[in-house]
Amino acid sequence: MTNIEKYIQSFTAAFDIEAEQCEGLEYQGIETWDSVGHMGLIAELEDVFDIMMDTDDIIDFSSFEKGKEILGKYDVEF
Amino acid sequence: MFKNKNIMITGTNRGIGRTMLEAFAREGANIWAHARKETSEFTENLKHVSEINAVEIMPIFFDMTNSLEMKQAVKEISDSKKTIDVLVNNAGIAHGGLFQMTSLEKMRDVFDVNYFSVLELTQLISRLMVRQKKGSIINIASISGLDLKAGNCAYGTSKAALIAATKVLSYELAPQGIRVNAIAPGLTDTNMTVLMEKKAGDAMVRETALNRLGLPEEIAQTAIFLASDKASFITGQTLRVDGGM
Ligand SMILES: NC(=O)c1ccc[n+]([C@@H]2O[C@H](COP(=O)([O-])OP(=O)(O)OC[C@H]3O[C@@H](n4cnc5c(N)ncnc54)[C@H](OP(=O)(O)O)[C@@H]3O)[C@@H](O)[C@H]2O)c1
Repeated sequence: MTNIEKYIQSFTAAFDIEAEQCEGLEYQGIETWDSVGHMGLIAELEDVFDIMMDTDDIIDFSSFEKGKEILGKYDVEF
Repeated sequence: MFKNKNIMITGTNRGIGRTMLEAFAREGANIWAHARKETSEFTENLKHVSEINAVEIMPIFFDMTNSLEMKQAVKEISDSKKTIDVLVNNAGIAHGGLFQMTSLEKMRDVFDVNYFSVLELTQLISRLMVRQKKGSIINIASISGLDLKAGNCAYGTSKAALIAATKVLSYELAPQGIRVNAIAPGLTDTNMTVLMEKKAGDAMVRETALNRLGLPEEIAQTAIFLASDKASFITGQTLRVDGGM
């Protein structure tokens, strides 16, 4: 599985959505991406990419696009 | 009771933490045993406890106030791919002194160990628990955080803050299947008590209905209960284990 596939799968699993819905998605843009859902997403991403994110990055993770940029800090390349 | 469960306890080299390590091991738990630093006595005790109970005990070392070391240790736990079912935040420091005679630096030191570092570790470990949507966190607070009196401007308030955080986290982590509780021990027979002024210690004991010090084992058994499924409907609570006050 490529990194982008893993990334999308983390979103679909955390928010119970289809892959097509991920592009352009923003924090609190859908009902399931609330603060509780956010922690679920972070848990998925940390597990899938085997990383431990800093709290500041968890706070900054405000959209599907921004998340890719943040994961770059942890050597996850898309 | 805890077969195939993995439990992390901080401050397991002595006192209540060491007794909890032994008690959880007797219940079949595998344990991430934290200490500030490695010593031969600590290593030997872990080996002994592991052998007699046929459980896995994995040492981890960091100073509670060293963020970097703490993160490395949690990464090690995460990399092991083992679940982490229970976290017992036990490590702590005591301090007694009147407000006018306690420096701000001292207050910060006490809060760093008893409050901020506990929150930091809980933040990291609860993120691992979120993956499995289950977990139990137990904060070792103190009756000094409930019955705030003169001399408690640093230690008592740090434990009061921990008790308040226990309540907040219980709400925030409940949707993830994680329970968060605290234990408020009364005066318990460890080195911490030995360092206390004798007059103050004796007075505290006299105030208890049972008229004695608590035993570390009595605190450990309460932690076992709170960590177990027997306490599955208990969260956000602070349980006094104080001999009746
Ligand atoms: N004993 C009582 O009467 C009593 C009453 C109420 C609440 N409590 C609470 O119960 C808990 C355990 O107390 P205890 O009586 O077992 O005390 P203790 O015998 O003094 O043990 C304290 C433990 O915390 C560790 N610790 C302290 N600061 C640390 C740091 N910066 N980094 C890493 N480890 C650190 C110590 O490690 P080192 O050996 O390296 O210092 C030790 O393992 C504490 O949170 C305490 O506030 C105790």
